[in-house]
Amino acid sequence: MSSPAAPPILPEPPPAPEKTLRRLFLTLFLRGRGARGLNKQGAPKSIGRKLALTLVFYLLFGCMALYFVRQSVFALSVYLHAMTFVFLGMFVAASAGEILFNKEETDILLHRPITPKTMLWAKIRVLVEVSLWLAGAFNLVGLCVGFGAAGNWRFPLIHVVSTIMEALFCTGFVVLAYQLCLRWFGRERLDGLMTTVQVLVSVAMIAASQLLPRMIFRLDHVLNLTEASWWIGLLPPAWFAGLDDAVAGSLALNSWLLAAMGLAVTSVVLWLAFVKLARDYEVGLQTINETSSRRVKTRGGRRWLNKLVQLPPLSWWLRDPVTRASFLLTTAYLFRDRDVKLRVYPGIAPVLIIPFVFLLQDGRGSGHQPMGFGVPFSGLYLGMVPLLGLQLLQYSQQWQASDIFRLAPIHGPAPLCHGARRAVLCFLALPMFVLVAGVVWLLRGDLTQLLLFIPGLIALPVFALVPGVRGRGVPLSMPSDTAKSAGRGLSLIFVMFIALGLSALASVGWAQGWYWWLVLGEVVLAAIIYTAMRLVLAKARWPALN
Amino acid sequence: MVISLDQLTKCYGEQTAVDALSLEIPAGQIVGFLGPNGAGKSTTLKMLTGMLEPTRGQASICGFDLRQQPIEVKRHVGFVPESGAVFESLTGLEYLEMVAALYGIPPNAARARIKQFIAFFDLSFETLTDKLLGAYSKGMRRKVVITSALLHNPPVVFFDEPLDGLDANAAVGFKALIQTLAREGKTIVYSSHILDVVERVCHRVIIIDKGKLLLDGKPDELVAAHQSGTLEKLFTQLTGGAELERRAEDFAKTFRP
Repeated sequence: MSSPAAPPILPEPPPAPEKTLRRLFLTLFLRGRGARGLNKQGAPKSIGRKLALTLVFYLLFGCMALYFVRQSVFALSVYLHAMTFVFLGMFVAASAGEILFNKEETDILLHRPITPKTMLWAKIRVLVEVSLWLAGAFNLVGLCVGFGAAGNWRFPLIHVVSTIMEALFCTGFVVLAYQLCLRWFGRERLDGLMTTVQVLVSVAMIAASQLLPRMIFRLDHVLNLTEASWWIGLLPPAWFAGLDDAVAGSLALNSWLLAAMGLAVTSVVLWLAFVKLARDYEVGLQTINETSSRRVKTRGGRRWLNKLVQLPPLSWWLRDPVTRASFLLTTAYLFRDRDVKLRVYPGIAPVLIIPFVFLLQDGRGSGHQPMGFGVPFSGLYLGMVPLLGLQLLQYSQQWQASDIFRLAPIHGPAPLCHGARRAVLCFLALPMFVLVAGVVWLLRGDLTQLLLFIPGLIALPVFALVPGVRGRGVPLSMPSDTAKSAGRGLSLIFVMFIALGLSALASVGWAQGWYWWLVLGEVVLAAIIYTAMRLVLAKARWPALN
Repeated sequence: MVISLDQLTKCYGEQTAVDALSLEIPAGQIVGFLGPNGAGKSTTLKMLTGMLEPTRGQASICGFDLRQQPIEVKRHVGFVPESGAVFESLTGLEYLEMVAALYGIPPNAARARIKQFIAFFDLSFETLTDKLLGAYSKGMRRKVVITSALLHNPPVVFFDEPLDGLDANAAVGFKALIQTLAREGKTIVYSSHILDVVERVCHRVIIIDKGKLLLDGKPDELVAAHQSGTLEKLFTQLTGGAELERRAEDFAKTFRP
């Protein structure tokens, strides 16, 4: 070792770290926080390329605005702002927790010559900046369409202003939600509480993104979509659409009222989030790593789960101790781990939404034909829940702890895969089946319709075995950052095609009287495939460590 | 005095983590800051580095008041936290340049200084530029964290378990480095559970338990005064670890077939 030479002298006056922090948080946001396990080749080196791809996707999605070429400025603006609101809300809700309250960050940055307030501002700047890029890409086509619809240059200009306001509102609202939770419930409960809020917001946003375009396209037939509708004032996107319409569209008084409401609410939210409650953020950041003096209430939950696995039928199903341990581990992470919850629940939310969309369309389009395509498709499509759930459960921030599986005296990953599979079937797939079945019953008022779920229920064990068939479904064994780049598409497309094909056969079979023969055939085929897959899994050895 | 604590207290709800701690540390001293797990060492270090706000009491670093001038305090301290946390998706060089920028060190000076540390720690520049910190070994990561604490040439440095992950050669080099830094007038506060290292390196030892000061003095004088033979034995006597050997023997018997 050679000795260090004379060090630099501390510069005077003190530096302004805002630029450095902005660059840091932007880099961390684009690359992801933890790159553990990534080798040099796998590291996301090109920030520009990743960002460009995202923006192209948003730009293409924004082309749906072409549908509004001949519609009013207000209708176009409601659509653009509603979709922007969904995208930005989802993005900010998903990113805010990690950006605002990162536990490791306190050890890295809080002893540097920067204040928590400077950090908060740098983070907010990054959130707003990225939100605006996304909003800009999504709204680009809409700007051109709006220019045509309004027939003047005022629309593009005012729409840019209203979109910036909307981005500020979304960011401010989410930051405010965090700060209020911190103030009212304390840092000990912040993590769990905000995880729940984030999951709910993400699920709601995904649901909205699936349902909203359908609603807007039909809205004119159901409700009179104008700036004069009383209920429109309850929807934040309408405030910003009102601003567009007031300046570049109808210039109506109601639009000015909506615009004024948007301006007022955005100002209040921003003042509360970034001025009034900024101190709560400082306190929260300082204490986020400290040991809680309160006891975390997990004993009750643990006891409930332990009792459950000792009772039939779970005690029969989980006779193997390794499978039972894997079941308990997977269930604990499904209910407790922030990272897993934020990946799994928003990940499977669209799977839940699609059956509802089909059920609603089925009900509306074929009221005189009670046995449509929607019910069997819903049942079969729910086969994606265990498939997707298990794939997402492979990733964890504590993936290195999974070395213990390889150290344990077990030949291969089969019992671990079975435990995880059974946990997902019990706590994800089954509740979803019950929920969708309840909706079918409510919509149709006929319990016999539920018989059309049987093909889905038969296929479920087979679908659930797919992730583990090559020994790849070991729970919590891969770095969470690799989840973003994992190729899950093929197996999902495969399930989708099977769902479509079998649903079509089931609905035709039901109508023509050979439905039960189809069920019998499916049982035989599923039993053969299931047995073969279990044999393959039983022989599987540990995959190579990369 | 470079570091001065007066009745420094930190409470979390009803729990007192640091209880009216008062002490003074002059320039050029290496102080071993010891205590069992949960004694309040890390909380004290976090308060002294401006990461945590004290509940009560006063403290100053290099004449700057911890409450009134936290940014000035931070500019004059370096800190190696026990966690060794780094931003794993940055390369080593990106990370160190980011830290240098936060202290206002010009990019060229920062790069030159980083190269000196790389040479000292036997790291390759290619590793620092090409690999993300997430792919570093624990020891390499620790070297980067130590570099980031010393990059701005602080007069006071707090080390919380700095040798964790370092190999034997790096640990020897590091111990020599802090002794040299102390001779040049820097104040080093060294928190560790490796007591024989503390005994050899530190000029003074402070032992705390349950947030309260138990002992403060030169290691050899304390050992002699308590007739304990070694600092380790003195530490276990003071912190209720005297029964540990007998308990370990009893427990080991449970492994017999």
